[in-house]
Amino acid sequence: MAETATQEFLHNLHELPHTVKDACFRLGKTPESEREESQATFHNLFLHIHSVRVHLRTLKPTLTFGLGLMATASFVITLITGVLLMVYYKPSTDLAYQSIKDIHFTVSTGRFIRNIHRWSAQLMVLTVLLHMARVFFTASYKKPREFNWLVGLGLLVITLALSFTGYLLPWDQLAYWAITIGSNIANSPRELTDAIGMTKLFDPGGLQKRLLLGANYVGQDALIRFYVLHVFILPLALVTMLGVHFWRIRKDGGLAKPEDPPGGLAEWGGEKRLVFQPLATKTYGLMALVKGKRPPVNRGPENTVMSWPHLFWAELSVFMVTVAGTLVLSFYSDAPLKELANPAIPENPAKAPWYFLGIQELVSYSAFTGGLLIPVIVVVGLALIPFLDRRPGGEGTWFGTSRERSIFWQSLFFAVAVTVGMLAFTVNHGWLRNWFPNIHQLWIIAINPGSLLVLIFAAWSLFTLKRNDSVRLAAVSLFTCFLVGFTLLTYFATVHRGPNWHFYWWPSQWPVH
Amino acid sequence: MNDPSRIYRWLLLVASLVTIIYLVSAAVHENYLAQWKTVQREYLTILQQKATDDRGRELLAKFRVEMKQASIPALGTVDRCVTCHNGIDDPRMTDVPQPHRTHPGHILDKHPVDRFGCTVCHHGQGAALTFNEAKAEDVFWDYPLLPPNMTEATCVTCHDAEKLPPDQIPLLVVGMKLYQEKSCGSCHKLGGRGGTLGPALDNEGAKSKHQLIMTNLKPPHTTWSWQNAHFRDPGGVVPGSLMRNPTVTRPETLALTVYMLSQWKRDVPESYLAPDKIEQKYRALHPTPLTGEQVYRQYCTACHGNGAYTRWDKKFNRFIPAIRGVSLVSTASRDYLQANIEQGRPGTQMPAWGPHAGGLLPEEITGVIEYLRSGATAAAPAPALTLHGDAGNGLSLFLRNCAGCHGMNGRGGMAPEIGNPVFQQAAPDEFIIRTIRNGRVGTAMPAFQRPDAPALGDQDIADVLAYLRTLDSHRGQKAIAQNTVTAAPSGGKP
Repeated sequence: MAETATQEFLHNLHELPHTVKDACFRLGKTPESEREESQATFHNLFLHIHSVRVHLRTLKPTLTFGLGLMATASFVITLITGVLLMVYYKPSTDLAYQSIKDIHFTVSTGRFIRNIHRWSAQLMVLTVLLHMARVFFTASYKKPREFNWLVGLGLLVITLALSFTGYLLPWDQLAYWAITIGSNIANSPRELTDAIGMTKLFDPGGLQKRLLLGANYVGQDALIRFYVLHVFILPLALVTMLGVHFWRIRKDGGLAKPEDPPGGLAEWGGEKRLVFQPLATKTYGLMALVKGKRPPVNRGPENTVMSWPHLFWAELSVFMVTVAGTLVLSFYSDAPLKELANPAIPENPAKAPWYFLGIQELVSYSAFTGGLLIPVIVVVGLALIPFLDRRPGGEGTWFGTSRERSIFWQSLFFAVAVTVGMLAFTVNHGWLRNWFPNIHQLWIIAINPGSLLVLIFAAWSLFTLKRNDSVRLAAVSLFTCFLVGFTLLTYFATVHRGPNWHFYWWPSQWPVH
Repeated sequence: MNDPSRIYRWLLLVASLVTIIYLVSAAVHENYLAQWKTVQREYLTILQQKATDDRGRELLAKFRVEMKQASIPALGTVDRCVTCHNGIDDPRMTDVPQPHRTHPGHILDKHPVDRFGCTVCHHGQGAALTFNEAKAEDVFWDYPLLPPNMTEATCVTCHDAEKLPPDQIPLLVVGMKLYQEKSCGSCHKLGGRGGTLGPALDNEGAKSKHQLIMTNLKPPHTTWSWQNAHFRDPGGVVPGSLMRNPTVTRPETLALTVYMLSQWKRDVPESYLAPDKIEQKYRALHPTPLTGEQVYRQYCTACHGNGAYTRWDKKFNRFIPAIRGVSLVSTASRDYLQANIEQGRPGTQMPAWGPHAGGLLPEEITGVIEYLRSGATAAAPAPALTLHGDAGNGLSLFLRNCAGCHGMNGRGGMAPEIGNPVFQQAAPDEFIIRTIRNGRVGTAMPAFQRPDAPALGDQDIADVLAYLRTLDSHRGQKAIAQNTVTAAPSGGKP
């Protein structure tokens, strides 16, 4: 078999397609045995974040509805389309609008790409919110997943920030006035500092606004700041935290699930299977120093299947469903682009992006309370949930503990009644300023429909705590109230608020102006 | 056991199929089926039919299906209209359907598309590549395509309308004339000249539809449909408007609309301006004075009419004096009239017309005074009144005889405000005395010293005059401030 170097070279050249393929796909074939399926999973950078085997529960569509994955998929879509848009977009107040128009009219399928970017961004905000609700109602934040809940909360904030910063870039009327509103929300602490007369000494609101805009108004400085945030800093932060988020899912033992009784029988798919008894004194974990749960090597094959191919089919299908949904929406509905930004012609009503409209409604009562205090209370409240509700139970099951479902419905009706009642009252009768025109602003900062809603919800939650003697149920009632309040306020401000923030039954009744 | 990922594989199949279908549809829809490509393919067949001579064959050979645009940085426009209007400068295309047809008239001879583009004259969204978006009536664009009969409004961007052939700008010519005839300048400023009751109209044509109240207007909501409707019924379009119905016919309405659309101080490089436009700009800086009569007709008629009669104005809720009436002209001195014209009458709707306010030149104010006085004999020298007045008695006489119309403290009511500083400074004693004695013919002001039954003796009149003179010093600066305040709403309302 002696070869000359020439022969060897020719032979290698001949084998090139195979060797390159083998180098790229190291397994070299579709995995056939479970061992090969394991290898397919953990020999791949992108797949190895999954465990090799996955519990059947995880594959049940109604457990998660694939919401987290949908959010990730939307992010990937925005990332790809965003890079395409970046090629044509010019972040200058003189050129931005025209460059969007050019994307719309002359870039080949540019309009479609921009629509996809817009729709997947909207979808991302929506799915991130729903994902959070799913995690809450399946009690998946409980130990050891507290940290991941915090990471998720950070991701929510970054997602909103990404969407918000992207709003300004087209430099049209919608962008200009939505960001003007947004930056005025950032300015809202000034209501408090004005009321107690310390704005001259210390002006956190003005500082926040200037930090955001780089000026006192929305202009070139704001545009370039928002651009840098939108295309660089925030995506980088999001990718990083997303990595941590996924890593923690794995380290915390995959999706939260109820404990199978050790040594007992667990039913799945109509079959009863023996759950292995773990040996408390002995560990099969290779990395004994790692805290938390290991892949279930000590459990045997109870109710688990190989991740390859089952989990990957599931993930791929959710991804493609997201892509398909986005494409359909983008095909039929164009992303809005209004007239060129014109500081001389205010949009009326000037509305923030939809996910901030709930806040804008609160801001219309009191800038400080609605724009800063309540959002901070909400975020801090959400962050505290896993640390205040520490009793295990119900993990990985929708409304897992007893009475949860009924508390959820009770709170739902309660919150709907209170929020609708509060809105109806405010619309019909006005508020303190209408009754006592000379009242000190501090009274309105303290007592307004927004702060009352928060207090009523908190009281309702405490009432649930007392009556049911359960922290989890109190958390469920509060979280439900928050969801209802957020949804209804957002809906109300989107549909029922017209020019001058007056109440209208329907946007078609707005005076044309 | 069932295959746990079966449902996902079906889902994947369906989602992937939907993805592929929509990707392909979008690619076809955005590229091959793009409206402009269809139009250009149509144009290509027209070119083929018309390729009967060498020139035609050459044009056919040169034609490519591609996006075309006139990019004119000097005007800040990128007009892609020619992507569909391919035959715009091809004289053979007069008998083909739009959008392939030749541009009508000979306008393009002097205004080639590659130098001027399209939107500088026609407005509309030049960057757009579909007709609906280019027309831009129902899309978000500030300046939708002007209707063909109104396009002449934009000629004045670079031309002096008075130097253009009138048959080229038929509506604009009528509109300009109507603006003067209807005395629009009485209330509106244009080029720095005019009243302050209505808004200045210098950039009326630059307004977008969002700056106009469309509530009471049926669609389409364009600026010209607003102007049209507004000229026929100002109060019906803008509730609470003080604007008088200009009483114009439909064609005149259209002419005024075009004139309004032409009011746009658009910044165009000098190289685009016609020489007469540059002259016009120079003239605007060094205006030639109008005659008194011209001034009166353009800037006074809307309120004072021909000036012979006093009339009650419902909207202003006061009398508008007959400024050319015998009674006033025979009483008022030249200085009094000049002060009133130059400084206005605070507390009334009469604005100031001096060079720094209404923009009238000193010569024009002199001219208009002459014109006012031309209708009647000027005042004869006043009989002297040497009696010394007692303001205390004057007050009680004033309350009994005058305050009913002139208001407490002369604050004004249905009759003019005689406490205001401009009146106090401008009206000489003899003017006041004479007015009290003889009244003002044609107004509600009666004569208080008729030969048959004198209501007020000379001493009484001297007392009233003494009292009137205290009003000025009493009120002082505060009065001036108040006057400014009361004067504001009349000027501020639309």
